[in-house]
Amino acid sequence: MLLPDLSYLRARTVEEALALHSEKPQARFMAGGTDLLPQTRAGKCSPVHRGGGSLPPRTVIDVKYIPELAEIRGTGDGSLAIGAAASVAAVAGHPEVRRHYPVLADCCLSLGSYPLRNRATVAGNICNASPCADTAAALLALDARVAAVGPKGRREIGIGDFFENPGQTSLLAGELVVDVILPEKSRGARGHYGRIARRRAVDISTVAVLVACIAGREPEHRVALLSVAPTPLRVTGAEELLDQKGPDAAAQAAEISMSVCNPIDDVRGTADYRRAMVGVLTERGVSALAAGAGRPGS
Amino acid sequence: MKTPKTPAVVGQDIQRVDGLSKVTGASKYTGDLKFPRMLYAQVVRSPHPHARVLNVNLDRAARAPGVCAVASGRDFPFHVGIYLKDQTVFATDRVRYVGDPVAAVAAETPAAAREAAELVEVEYEPLEAIYDVQQGIQPDAPRVHPDLGDYECVPWITPKEGTNICNHLKVRKGDYQGALKSCVEVVENTFEVPQVQHVPMEPHISVARVDRAGKVEVHTSAQSPFTVRHLLCACFNLSHGDVRVSVPTVGGGFGGKAGINLEPIAVALAMRARGRWVRVMVDRSEEFYAVVVRQGLTATLVTGVDREGRVQAQKMHYLWNCGAYGGYGVNVVRAAGYTCGGAYEFPNVWGDSIGVYTNRPVGSAYRGFGMQEIHWALERQMDLVAGRIGMDPAEFRLKNCLGPGKQTVTGQVLDEHSGRVDLCIRKVEERLRADRRTDPGDGLIRGRGMACAVKAPAMPNDAASAVILKFCEDATLEVLISGTDIGQGLQTVSAQFAAEALDLPVEKVRVRGQPDTDLSPYDWQTVASRQTWATGNAILRAAEKIKEQLFSVAAEVLGVDPGRLALRDQAVVDPDTGRSIPLVRLVMGYQYEDGHAIGGPVAAHDSYLPEGLLFLDPETSQSAKPVAKWTFGAQGVEVSLDPRTGQYKVDRVVACYDVGRVIHPGLIRGQVYGGVVQGLGTGMMEELKLDEKSGRVVNASLMDYKIPTASDVPGVMEAHFVETPQADGPFGARGVGEHTMIPTPAAVANALGDACGIQLKEMPITAERVWRALNRREDPK
Amino acid sequence: MKTDIQVRVNGVMESRQVEGNQTLLSFLRDTLDLTGAKEGCNEGECGACVVLLDGVAVNSCLVLAAEVDGHSVTTIEGLGDGDDLHPLQQAFLKHHAVQCGFCTPGVILTSISLLEQNRNPSEQEIREALSGNLCRCTGYRQIIDAIREVAK
Repeated sequence: MLLPDLSYLRARTVEEALALHSEKPQARFMAGGTDLLPQTRAGKCSPVHRGGGSLPPRTVIDVKYIPELAEIRGTGDGSLAIGAAASVAAVAGHPEVRRHYPVLADCCLSLGSYPLRNRATVAGNICNASPCADTAAALLALDARVAAVGPKGRREIGIGDFFENPGQTSLLAGELVVDVILPEKSRGARGHYGRIARRRAVDISTVAVLVACIAGREPEHRVALLSVAPTPLRVTGAEELLDQKGPDAAAQAAEISMSVCNPIDDVRGTADYRRAMVGVLTERGVSALAAGAGRPGS
Repeated sequence: MKTPKTPAVVGQDIQRVDGLSKVTGASKYTGDLKFPRMLYAQVVRSPHPHARVLNVNLDRAARAPGVCAVASGRDFPFHVGIYLKDQTVFATDRVRYVGDPVAAVAAETPAAAREAAELVEVEYEPLEAIYDVQQGIQPDAPRVHPDLGDYECVPWITPKEGTNICNHLKVRKGDYQGALKSCVEVVENTFEVPQVQHVPMEPHISVARVDRAGKVEVHTSAQSPFTVRHLLCACFNLSHGDVRVSVPTVGGGFGGKAGINLEPIAVALAMRARGRWVRVMVDRSEEFYAVVVRQGLTATLVTGVDREGRVQAQKMHYLWNCGAYGGYGVNVVRAAGYTCGGAYEFPNVWGDSIGVYTNRPVGSAYRGFGMQEIHWALERQMDLVAGRIGMDPAEFRLKNCLGPGKQTVTGQVLDEHSGRVDLCIRKVEERLRADRRTDPGDGLIRGRGMACAVKAPAMPNDAASAVILKFCEDATLEVLISGTDIGQGLQTVSAQFAAEALDLPVEKVRVRGQPDTDLSPYDWQTVASRQTWATGNAILRAAEKIKEQLFSVAAEVLGVDPGRLALRDQAVVDPDTGRSIPLVRLVMGYQYEDGHAIGGPVAAHDSYLPEGLLFLDPETSQSAKPVAKWTFGAQGVEVSLDPRTGQYKVDRVVACYDVGRVIHPGLIRGQVYGGVVQGLGTGMMEELKLDEKSGRVVNASLMDYKIPTASDVPGVMEAHFVETPQADGPFGARGVGEHTMIPTPAAVANALGDACGIQLKEMPITAERVWRALNRREDPK
Repeated sequence: MKTDIQVRVNGVMESRQVEGNQTLLSFLRDTLDLTGAKEGCNEGECGACVVLLDGVAVNSCLVLAAEVDGHSVTTIEGLGDGDDLHPLQQAFLKHHAVQCGFCTPGVILTSISLLEQNRNPSEQEIREALSGNLCRCTGYRQIIDAIREVAK
């Protein structure tokens, strides 16, 4: 499979990126390119933004070399902003991420392979909007916000409002994700990421469940499911139950997870198996969390 | 064959002779070779699983920018096939699987070729497609090859005209029906193996040119340059002298690059683009379905045992899903048939091995050549029967296994040189029991299981390997072979044999192992685990001739009888007197001090052809010596299983093979580790999934056809070897390259049976299948 | 569309014009005749194309040549040669970690990248880092052993 003729443009600033895009509205922003290039070869790309088509681009606008997009930095208010061009490897290895948002490090390390993680980005992973996107589980659990800049200026989208359909987000045409923000409120969240795939490494998940808890006076549980619905999914019913009843409600929480998911049969597994595994992984995630999973040094 | 007492090089862990080239990136594979003004091909492939081809119009494609050649079945209606000529270079009147080549274009750039290919206009009339063997053998099934009766084939293959049966081998030994009546326990089971693919890291690729004088030259990633040449000549009606095939470094073959593959298309286009090199390759997706795959198998076994637990009656019914063409696959059907007893002595046998055409990708040679598939059935059955009669599975195997004096299903009586599967079983058992695992209380269920393996080379009775040995002026020995080093280490063992035979340090030997049919000695094929044995024997024979030449000249110079002379430390010596002549003064002839010279450049050609092989009886497959050699082995496996998800790990594999002689410890261990892991791939995760509405393989990519990674390797792999010398093997060696992946899936399934009682009969053993078995839920298929 | 790039490859500054759709893999193999990096799948699954980009292992089939303008690339040809091998190359030879050799350049470069980041990886860490480099021949055991020897 060949790449079609492409024009390569490199943006040095966010403003330049937006300007280039407004000149060529069919162009696509590119960070790691690890989804964009294979999809372009195959002739079918994730739409990404609302109203976006699946035609491969003729022009790519490389945003990797915009200096602030490569950064992972604290914001003034105690949140952590992950630049859109920061690699999955860089995020997984970053001391702030590992210390304060370890569930994101765990999910990052499940994504792709070691060379792939050196290139792929968290922003790219969520813009591709696969229902199996590993980082989405953590970002949902952490109530992350997606900062995007477009022709109408900058806005932040709550991760819960980000995924709309397989391959498609709530981004509008021309918007460029600049940061994925991990809120201060979610600092110290612990969790357990359970994943079933066809082999032990480097595979899209057949099913994945993240069970996490944001500490605080009133701890908040998070249960996120991947690969069993059109988009990554939070199970708020299970979360509330766990908030009220704690780990003893593991089996019940599992039942709720199983009832809200909507898996399909595909090459990786059947709906039947996936639903059952949602239950098993939810239960195990709750038990693991209760047993101290995700605590520093565990 | 004389065997030196304590070999200096054979049996040593020398550095792989092609290793330096590979770790530095110096090795050139076919896709690395640069050809001036090379054209790029794009093959037009059938989108239908089964259809008549009504018309192919190349006009628009021929006029497209950058196009230098177009070709289709109209121009090249030639049949090709190594044992059965049932395939044409391009489809003529019919396509038989999604991916079947219909036409091809060659253009200045890959993009131009791709665009031009889209301008090829093909009119199809879809026909009903069949995908499974039960459909295929029905009398009213659509015929995949209506002209089956007209195809040329070798005399020992029997296609059935008017059916979808491309070959049928019958094994009739003793009195099966009679013996069955007296059995106290009869067990019948049916087992399934899907189609899988070799997944070599280097996909298939061939480059060809027909020059202005008409000489055909091909550079190709292939296992067998002489077979490629031979089949090209048979296909295009050329003289062997006018076709040259070269093989550079090959990035994995596993049988998928045996025989002939993309070469005919490359040559066809090259004929149309006179004087230009044309490259034909497949991308990874096409590699999965558009070249060759491994056959599927549905195997029904019936086993009857007596009161002592001896099998008295055994029935095997194999239905091979050969896919659209069976040119090579017919021999898999045959080999599986005459090996249907596996490692066991069955006194009364009724076996039928039947190859069935379907509209699936083309089944061909794959490491094991039918053996992993039949051992899945047989070794599972052995455990199931043992369980039924309450006998330990190892004990049951030992009670029934072959050995010296015992008879195979073809009536061949094994001798003391055949190898000892009983010792392999005992070794595996000993190692499995040695490590008593304590339950770490992690909620996982543990089990252990074993399976045996056996295979012989499935080759024509006259398959030969030849070598040339010659010296450079500085007494470096060159060893010319046409066996291909596809990773197994053939070049290295060749160097070891030559160095040992001529008492040379390995550093003074160069193996010329990139064969060129214009210049290299003949070799039938690099398949069948035959190369160490055949090329090794040829090297040892040629070495004797080298010695004769050296001794003849030295004897004249020294004035002694040549029979007294020996080779030592790169010189010919007379042990009685100590007088010696260094090789460097002999290898180009010998020049006396007065100037006159005698002798000449020392070089020798010799070959090895297996002797005494006898055809099988066409009705019963009985033969006293159907094959050149058997290699036996066994593997034991320990698994730990998560019962709630069905996920399991293979924690340990213990392998033991009777290899006759270990020629190179590191290389042979590499064959064990590599074969086991490839076996785990087919056993645990590999399957070509075909959508029966479209006939397309839906997981034709590494994203959705998973093979093992470094994370899937068992924590412990042990490789043990028994050395019962092969009488006609070089230093007693016999082959083992394929055998290491044969028993692995069955051993895993046997271990899972031991762990939790599930009785799997279908490969691959996925977590979901285990979960379904544990929860007694039907497979939705 | 063509772009001018300047990239340091194995220590040598290369100034070339590349097509927008040319991958780094193709640039290395077809333009610079550095054929050590291989095309195994063209979709980032097999690792045969791995090279070091600014010292870090990446799948060169997923990188456009234009993206490496101003950067540096190391291929297998940039390691040792016959007279002066990198310790990993020596270890691979010693442990028989090479069979057909097609995956070998990518595996060696991934290993170098790993050891740069993690001087003494555990067997588990080695396995994980290697899981993006498929090998069909060796069963990985001898590869892991070779890396462990160099890591010690």
